[in-house]
Amino acid sequence: MSSRSAQSWEKTPSLPDGHYVGGTVYNDQEIFTDERKHIFDKVWHFVCHESEVAEIFDFRTTERADVPLIVTRGEDGRIRTFINVCSHRGARVVMGSGGNARTHTCFYHHWTYDTKGSCVSMPRPEAYAGSGVCKENMGLREVKTQIKWGFVFVNLDDDCPSLDDFLDGALNIFDEVLPKVELEVFHYHRAEIDANWKAYQETIVDLYHEFMHVILRDTQMPAASMDDREMHTYANGHVTIAGLKADYDKYEGWTGRSDASCFPGLDPDDARFAPLFPAQTFITRGTVMRVDTVQPITAHKCLIESRGLGIKGESVDDRMMRIDHHNEYWGPFGRNVTEDAFAAEGCEVSFGKGAALRGIIARDEGGKGQCDSGLRGFWTEWSRRMGRPFSHPINS
Amino acid sequence: MESAYGPPLQSSNQQLSGSLVPASNDEVRELIYRSCRYLDLQDFDAYIALCASDFRYKITLYSPELRKEMIWLNHDRNGLASLLAAVPRHLVRLGSLQRNVTAYTIERDETNKSADVLSAFSVFNIDNEGRPSVFAVGHYYDTVSLSNDQPLLVSRNARLASRDLGIGSHIPI
Repeated sequence: MSSRSAQSWEKTPSLPDGHYVGGTVYNDQEIFTDERKHIFDKVWHFVCHESEVAEIFDFRTTERADVPLIVTRGEDGRIRTFINVCSHRGARVVMGSGGNARTHTCFYHHWTYDTKGSCVSMPRPEAYAGSGVCKENMGLREVKTQIKWGFVFVNLDDDCPSLDDFLDGALNIFDEVLPKVELEVFHYHRAEIDANWKAYQETIVDLYHEFMHVILRDTQMPAASMDDREMHTYANGHVTIAGLKADYDKYEGWTGRSDASCFPGLDPDDARFAPLFPAQTFITRGTVMRVDTVQPITAHKCLIESRGLGIKGESVDDRMMRIDHHNEYWGPFGRNVTEDAFAAEGCEVSFGKGAALRGIIARDEGGKGQCDSGLRGFWTEWSRRMGRPFSHPINS
Repeated sequence: MESAYGPPLQSSNQQLSGSLVPASNDEVRELIYRSCRYLDLQDFDAYIALCASDFRYKITLYSPELRKEMIWLNHDRNGLASLLAAVPRHLVRLGSLQRNVTAYTIERDETNKSADVLSAFSVFNIDNEGRPSVFAVGHYYDTVSLSNDQPLLVSRNARLASRDLGIGSHIPI
């Protein structure tokens, strides 16, 4: 055993193809730009839950791939998404984060749009006579929107495959839960962290990093045989992880979770994860659900959005129980999520300026235990979409 | 016992003819400031000692996105004590948090021997290289008991005005 020379450090690892990730994927500007074009402009993105736009004319603003979006429920009850940019001079139309409005008027020149995206008025339109500019052809740009079990997804590519084709059944690990219960978002936070977006998403798929979390060492790793956990990798880069068990009362100060308080179809100790490519994750832990998205801001900064969900119409006591269970692990003061973000920032320090040359993803436990097969599935899809092998993304 | 960070909170309350003199506003302010100082220093036992047995701690805020109130932390005294006791086992953010607090108003209820205190807080993160950044901004809504020989926190609602807390924190505000 010894430390390594520069030659040893820099030489290509003697690992099978696809068992290590070239460090430039986390810091190269051209790769970052290509990711926007080849991945984020093409995939379905979870943007919100329908409970966030529950009433007619409710709206939420957000962004995906740096494109500002408005999600709104029309008078016909349908949820639509538009690029939140005025057809006139490109100003942002809706400034607020959420609300209820029958129409939206651009602050700049008062062009007004309805919830179907139609431009319904513009001041002094007669000056455009003969120019082709009229409210009839100046609507907002609509974005493809589909809903799966209450989760609203959008795709910026008009020629994209259907949402179901994209999901490829990856959310079916929740099919005992989600079709049977109407959910409601009770927690939302967003956080910019100093890390490449993939470094954070990897913490979701990388089960070997359980060692980093005290709560997982206490509650999860001893709870069941590593052979009981199953990681399934889909051809399009999604991963599902089921069979994870957690004895919550093994962490000092926490209590167990009762059968009565669980989501339908779940046991109290039952944890299921569905990290969808590229960077959106659905997680249930017996009594509560979390949905995360990660978006690139720069090669060295990303935006995390995180939601906690309970059951719509539940009692105040049940809701409070779910909030407490959510906050044990998740949220800005949770025992788990803060550590994942810490890990992503810790990797940025080394990968961001090139001190780290690669990451090893060579664990093979046959899709069980703490196998790296999910990470390899993520990176295989990344390579397919980017046209670059992830082990040598620049040289090739 | 004197802590390494100064003597424990002293009360000027004196028993006169069998009755307590309620804590002064200065003592109430000192309670608020000490609570922040102890969290800054991660002297969690000293912090918990400032809390009454029925203490309730919350971090709350309003989400304009959801148009709903949110609770980001909610503990009774024992729960908070457990949470704080476990902090050294966790992978926590580097550097330290420093709370700057100003007690704005103290509304005393002499009948119930309590006071509602509104304070503003700014929490800075000082990283390992000494660089400061703002971690959180908001207000404390505290209820303080004046019926003991020293004022005690009965409840604290750390009400956040800022919502993006970066990687977050294992230590409450």
